[in-house]
Amino acid sequence: MYGRYAVKRIIYGIITYMVIIFIFSMLFNTVVETTLRSLLEERLQGEFLQMDLGNYSAEQITELKAQRRDQLYRMHHLYSPFIVRVFWRAYNTITFNFGQSTNVTSSSGERDVGMIIAEAVPRTALLFTVAAVINITLFIFLGIKKAQKAGKMFDQSTSIITMVVFGMPSWWLAMLLIMFLSYVIPLFPSGGMFSTPPPEGSWARLVDLLYHMILPVLTLVLLRAWGGAYLIRNIVLGTLQEDYIMSARARGLPEQKVLYGHTLRSAAPPIATMAVMSLLISFSGGLIFEGIFSWPGMGNLFWVALQQYDIPVLMGNLAVTTLLYMSGLIFLDLIYGLLDPRIKVGGKA
Amino acid sequence: MNKEQIPVKRDYKPGKIATAQPSRWRDLGVSLRGFWKEFSQIKYGVAGLILLAIFFLMIVFEPWLIPFPEASERWRDISYWDSNPRNAAPGWINWFARQKGATHQYLRDPILEVEEQARFKVIKGTFSYDYRFDLPPTGLSLRGLGKGDLRLTVRLERPDGQEIELYKDSLRRRNEDELKLPLGGLQAASTAFEFGQSYDSAENVKRVNRHMIRPYNIFFARAQEGILLKPEPLPGEYKIHLDVVAIGQDAYIKDPYLIVSGRVFGLLGTDNSRRDIWSGVVAGIKWAMFIGLLTAFISVVIGVTYGVTSAYFGGWIDSMMMRIFEVFVSIPILPVLIVLSAVFKPTIWLLIFMMTVFFWTGPVRTVRSIGMQIREETYIEAAYALNASHARIIFKHMVPQLIPYAFATMALAVPRAIIFEASISLLGFGDASIVTWGQILHDAMNGGAILQGLWWWVIPPGLTIALMSMTFAFIGFSMDKILNPKLKTR
Amino acid sequence: MGRILEVNNLKLYYYTARGPVRGVDDISFHLNKGETLGVVGESGCGKTTLGTALLNMPSPPGRIVGGEIVLAGSDILQLNEKQIRQQIRWEKISMVFQGAMNCLTPVYTIEKQMLETLQEHREMDEAAAGERIRKYIAYVGLSDDVLRRYPHELSGGMKQRIVIATALFLEPEVVICDEPTTALDVVVQAQIINLLKELKEQLGLSFIFITHDLATEAEVADRILVMYAGKIAEIGTNQQIYGQEGQIHPYTRGLLGATPRLREKVAKLDFIPGTPPNLLHPPAGCRFHLRCPVVMERCSVEEPPLKEIEAEHKIACWRCFDE
Repeated sequence: MYGRYAVKRIIYGIITYMVIIFIFSMLFNTVVETTLRSLLEERLQGEFLQMDLGNYSAEQITELKAQRRDQLYRMHHLYSPFIVRVFWRAYNTITFNFGQSTNVTSSSGERDVGMIIAEAVPRTALLFTVAAVINITLFIFLGIKKAQKAGKMFDQSTSIITMVVFGMPSWWLAMLLIMFLSYVIPLFPSGGMFSTPPPEGSWARLVDLLYHMILPVLTLVLLRAWGGAYLIRNIVLGTLQEDYIMSARARGLPEQKVLYGHTLRSAAPPIATMAVMSLLISFSGGLIFEGIFSWPGMGNLFWVALQQYDIPVLMGNLAVTTLLYMSGLIFLDLIYGLLDPRIKVGGKA
Repeated sequence: MNKEQIPVKRDYKPGKIATAQPSRWRDLGVSLRGFWKEFSQIKYGVAGLILLAIFFLMIVFEPWLIPFPEASERWRDISYWDSNPRNAAPGWINWFARQKGATHQYLRDPILEVEEQARFKVIKGTFSYDYRFDLPPTGLSLRGLGKGDLRLTVRLERPDGQEIELYKDSLRRRNEDELKLPLGGLQAASTAFEFGQSYDSAENVKRVNRHMIRPYNIFFARAQEGILLKPEPLPGEYKIHLDVVAIGQDAYIKDPYLIVSGRVFGLLGTDNSRRDIWSGVVAGIKWAMFIGLLTAFISVVIGVTYGVTSAYFGGWIDSMMMRIFEVFVSIPILPVLIVLSAVFKPTIWLLIFMMTVFFWTGPVRTVRSIGMQIREETYIEAAYALNASHARIIFKHMVPQLIPYAFATMALAVPRAIIFEASISLLGFGDASIVTWGQILHDAMNGGAILQGLWWWVIPPGLTIALMSMTFAFIGFSMDKILNPKLKTR
Repeated sequence: MGRILEVNNLKLYYYTARGPVRGVDDISFHLNKGETLGVVGESGCGKTTLGTALLNMPSPPGRIVGGEIVLAGSDILQLNEKQIRQQIRWEKISMVFQGAMNCLTPVYTIEKQMLETLQEHREMDEAAAGERIRKYIAYVGLSDDVLRRYPHELSGGMKQRIVIATALFLEPEVVICDEPTTALDVVVQAQIINLLKELKEQLGLSFIFITHDLATEAEVADRILVMYAGKIAEIGTNQQIYGQEGQIHPYTRGLLGATPRLREKVAKLDFIPGTPPNLLHPPAGCRFHLRCPVVMERCSVEEPPLKEIEAEHKIACWRCFDE
């Protein structure tokens, strides 16, 4: 039952991803092709430079170049009708064939977009996962506390904080923290993952990494912990009103068990949903955030690619970001299914 | 107990009220009044409304609130701002600061002596400047109207008697023209260096970087050792002497005045393009409000309609609509918006359009589930039996019940739209024909505000984003509290 | 036939923003061992409030503000929460809830929930506990199969039986049944009622059976307590209330009149006009007087006490005292 649900969901996700990439290909087709043409031109010139052309006249060389250009264009389907071109671009993207960048290089100097992105992904993952874990712990803890003392001072004041920071851009807070804690009072590094030059020894490197992570993680936590707490509080309060909670109490179960065993466990599906959603949102919105901190992850890659107008990197990064985002959504559904027996086990007897 | 209202099709003549109320709109009226009563009891909801009112008032009274009323249209017009100082801190800082910065001043009506000769005029003017600050002005600028062949010399006379030549040059203006002569630049820097050299120790002279000197820090400093590296302010009465030789009968100089570029200026200081930040921030209010409200409104309208329609029709229409919905929901909005903006360089309208294309998905799930519940109600069945059209059932019976929820969603969608626009502007892809807070922050970032600690440039725009979002959050959350009965705590 | 439960002058008020709502206002009655006491009344008369009060679990913002509940000799309201939870709730008094739809936690299997309750109250290892559970599941006519299931997989009738089994397996002295059959269809209703009767005989239980359905009440109850607006209108034996002779409270008469009968043909069903009173500001005098077909002047002024007009039959009505 669950297995079927899971497989269905995953397949469905793959199809959706392909549709989205197709749409992207359509939207960005012009821009991508312009870049493609110039890249091909570059390649063409490169090829010809390496050939021995002493025996050819100028016209013959031009003729050869035109032929070769024609060949390349055919290879890349540049003469085909619009839909076909879009299809091939999408196909490339879906098979992770992102091509070469125009400017950006990976840390080893490569221009393979796939490699560039592959380097950036784990760095982003590190930052956001750490922040997410801290956040989730905090807001479950805070949320339960708020629900227990609903309506009282603690609950009200934390709710107000939630609203106050509701619209505070994370990158702005980042700017402030950097300005005050990095320049005005040089307490923390202003960016990057490691100091330059990075320290020797794995222990020292780890400490250095953590040191660089403090400000970004702090920013994320300061902003996001409240919203989650508020939502959890609501979910828990809502669950506490359910009949089965009263029934559990009537059966003489101690309050601890009722709260954690029954309430929280029953509320686990929406809480898990919320936790994962908040991770996804902070990931999607945090791309600018990375740039402010020069944290060399996917967000920063966007920045760099934007500044240098490196289309292949942009497109590749966009595709991978979308893929990760979607995977998060699928993961969410799968977890929800596991936690909610109605889905895990299926329908009525 | 429940007067079931069966919808009746009648021929409506204008002014004639049908005896059977045909829809849920009347219920809506009653429930809105009750809603308001509850709403007014929530403190932060009311606070939100008050803040909202303040923002609207600021928009309405904008031309009177800011010293540069054309801030929005002429944000990128250098000439509009050029009489302001650069990177000046807010004026009120002088109340708190240990070191008081020179205020921005306009020295007018100098004492003028005009000596007319046969072929030329000699005009001598003297401006008085009383300097009692810890941080000297960042520059001086001579303005006025002039015509013809003019030779100008400007000298600074310090309280300790020293004189420094700030400017010496010839100008020619065919017609009467505005003169804008900044008395600074490389010229002033080398003058300052030479001046300081004669007073400072040889060691300091070697240590200092000629090109990093701020001339006016030196001009207004005590002539002593350390003047080049750690100038100490010299308070007192300064005089700026203007000597003009106007050659030819119709050459003249008129209404000269001096701009003393202050360290502090205005309510929120200036940025590195001399723009008054207060004007920029206030001018940005209307854009933020406009973008936020319009995006939120359109996207929620679309979302609610979509959700209700999908719920109402059910079956394969519902399935198909939800499939389309799933595609949109799976796209990470901000990265895509950013790339779209980079490639298509949108105007504000296109930006709103792009945001709406993504935001409409927000309310759909909830609206659809509520819609599915409403659909099961008997009055819907009754309406259908009485041959009401689909549109009528949807809009007259189902939608009104969702209006409170729609409003709450709208309120919470506004901050999202504002932040998205700010994010895109931050990256430099915003609409350059208007000024938004995000754009100000973009300039701040590129202008090194963070590095230089120009907090007045970084804090206000972001703070207003946060404040406006907070306002809508207050309103939205309190609506949410009322509408969600499970959350009543007492 | 001793008294197993005695309730004296019980008051439970709900403290709302607009003032105290008198859910249960000075109620006194007793329950004999081995009998079923039915509690009837319209919606909102205080029946369910009474049920939760007996477990000392008033729904917030309710509070018990007076009276005593004497169970096996001692007043349980004097105990603190921990003592009540450990010694009274489910041990001595248990409850079969209405709308068993939602009384079982959806994320745990039946077995886990029953085990949890059982082990909370008794020192039992899993084997012994499992045995007891299976015994009671069999009593209520279900197979062991249901234990592995989640609540959503079961039908309404099955869930109700499980709730009954859970309420009984600690073998409490008093079982409160709050509308146990209201949410079920007629066939299942009959099954459940028969089941309850059987178990009562078999295990020697005493029931308090709360419902608004007079027909069901007639089936199960030995004595009946009629509640109106938080007060007792009448207590009597089944025969006294349902039998067509003798005095009964006008409200009870109205309720009976409104119940359709199988073999009687009526042109029109009687109903009691008006609506139940506002418990925030109850009417002066007899609470029923505004709707009573035989109201007298005295009724609007003075509240009638609960007086015994014949053996085992008490009524609170001025009209009934006179005649």
